[in-house]
Amino acid sequence: MPSTSVEPTGQATGQTVLIIDDEPTARVALAARLKRLGYRVLQADDGKAGLDMLRRERPDLTILDWMMPEMDGPSFCEVVRQDPALLSSQILMMTSNDQPEQIAEGLARGADDFLSKAASKYEITARVQAGIRAAGLIKRLEDVTAEIRRKQDTLERELQSAARYVESLLPVSGTISPGVEMVRVYRPSLGLGGDLFNVVSWNHDLLGLYLLDASGHGVSPALRSASFATFLRRESLVRHVGSSDPGAILTEANKHFPLTENGHYFTIVFATLDIRSQTLSYATAGHSGVFLHRQSGEICWIAKPNLPLGFDPSTVYGTDVLSIEPGDRLYLLSDGLYEVPDATGDLWGQDRLEEVVRTLGRRPLPEVLSGAVNEAVRWLGHEQFPDDVAVMGVEFTGC
Amino acid sequence: MAMQTKERSVANGVVLELAGDLTYANREQFKTAVEAIRQKGCRHLILNMAEVRFVDSSGLGLLALVSQNFKLSQGKVSMLKPQSYVREIMSLANIQKLIPVYDNEQDALAGQQKAA
Repeated sequence: MPSTSVEPTGQATGQTVLIIDDEPTARVALAARLKRLGYRVLQADDGKAGLDMLRRERPDLTILDWMMPEMDGPSFCEVVRQDPALLSSQILMMTSNDQPEQIAEGLARGADDFLSKAASKYEITARVQAGIRAAGLIKRLEDVTAEIRRKQDTLERELQSAARYVESLLPVSGTISPGVEMVRVYRPSLGLGGDLFNVVSWNHDLLGLYLLDASGHGVSPALRSASFATFLRRESLVRHVGSSDPGAILTEANKHFPLTENGHYFTIVFATLDIRSQTLSYATAGHSGVFLHRQSGEICWIAKPNLPLGFDPSTVYGTDVLSIEPGDRLYLLSDGLYEVPDATGDLWGQDRLEEVVRTLGRRPLPEVLSGAVNEAVRWLGHEQFPDDVAVMGVEFTGC
Repeated sequence: MAMQTKERSVANGVVLELAGDLTYANREQFKTAVEAIRQKGCRHLILNMAEVRFVDSSGLGLLALVSQNFKLSQGKVSMLKPQSYVREIMSLANIQKLIPVYDNEQDALAGQQKAA
């Protein structure tokens, strides 16, 4: 290979090189050469002083002698690689003994490259430039990583703020109307959930209750749910539907919320409790999470198979009516509570949930709800539900 | 599990053989395969679901979307041989109202001829 082809031509642009060598003659000669090439050069005459300088100055490249008293080159490398603040430093190790075994040991203990003390000035310059190049790439990687981390933090703070807003839309557990107690559970899977539920007070005797589940996870379903919740406010329903009939409400909602371009949609259960006539009228759209736990102990899942909202604009959703008695409890829930897999992928399922509710029997509503969530967590094996969990338990006390 | 798709032309339609899970993770692949068939002017898409183990809520939405898009271009979508678990999910959401389900290709094609 002609010598001209390896002659480095690049011009140094003020990068810093630290030379650590206990032999002053060699160190000063190398320093002079690198200064002529335009580098800023720092010098240290042993490993310990070198480490101090590395910490203080963060040079782009460190050129390190192997043989030194107290701390030798490989030991220096080991210290650097174990220090989180220094570990990405570029280290070029110099040795007069360039046996393959020694080079292997030096690399294994943390050097990035080797330079023979007998190397030509061209080789020295070329290896220094290669080291500086690598240091530049690492620096860029570190900067980009820090930038991503900063943006991620901002994004997470915004998500948390949005999550607090969604939570603020939810009703508070307690007496929601004379004779009606409500307890709720809400555990979004990603901080920000697509499940929402609420109470619509039509008048003293008439109470609307709904729970909706937006398909997908994250920001988009949460936004769609919040917009749907606005549609389901009393004034909006009076204007758009003009009725408290659950079927009529879902039929109208179906026209307002078509499938998104990505095929996202809502499932929902909407129930209206007539306290005076002791009737429950309800409608569902592709939502099976609704059951009635009778005072008598009987549990019935009351949803009928039908299309989720947005699947077919011509769908007419019907209303079913049941009579209720004091002590009856209605549970509206998202499938996130029971579609939880165990370690083998087996789902907990509606039947097991029903069994837990049956076992807890007439215990107070908050105990039943936390008992059900605890059993689901036990099945899952950890606390992190794969999907949003939303449950609203409502007891008709009748007084 | 990833999804494999394979299309096959039949008289008056295209059969799309699906294998794997029809889920959120595989949505782009499914949409791309189906959209390519629709843009070729296909009027009857038959989705063979025999090798599909699982459909999640996103998959369900995609099926509804595909059915709507074919309807817009005067076409239709049918479904062949869903496995029992998938069949159950379909019936809970009443999907057969939008996408008729058949147990063999001849019946699916005959369904199309009756409709014509």
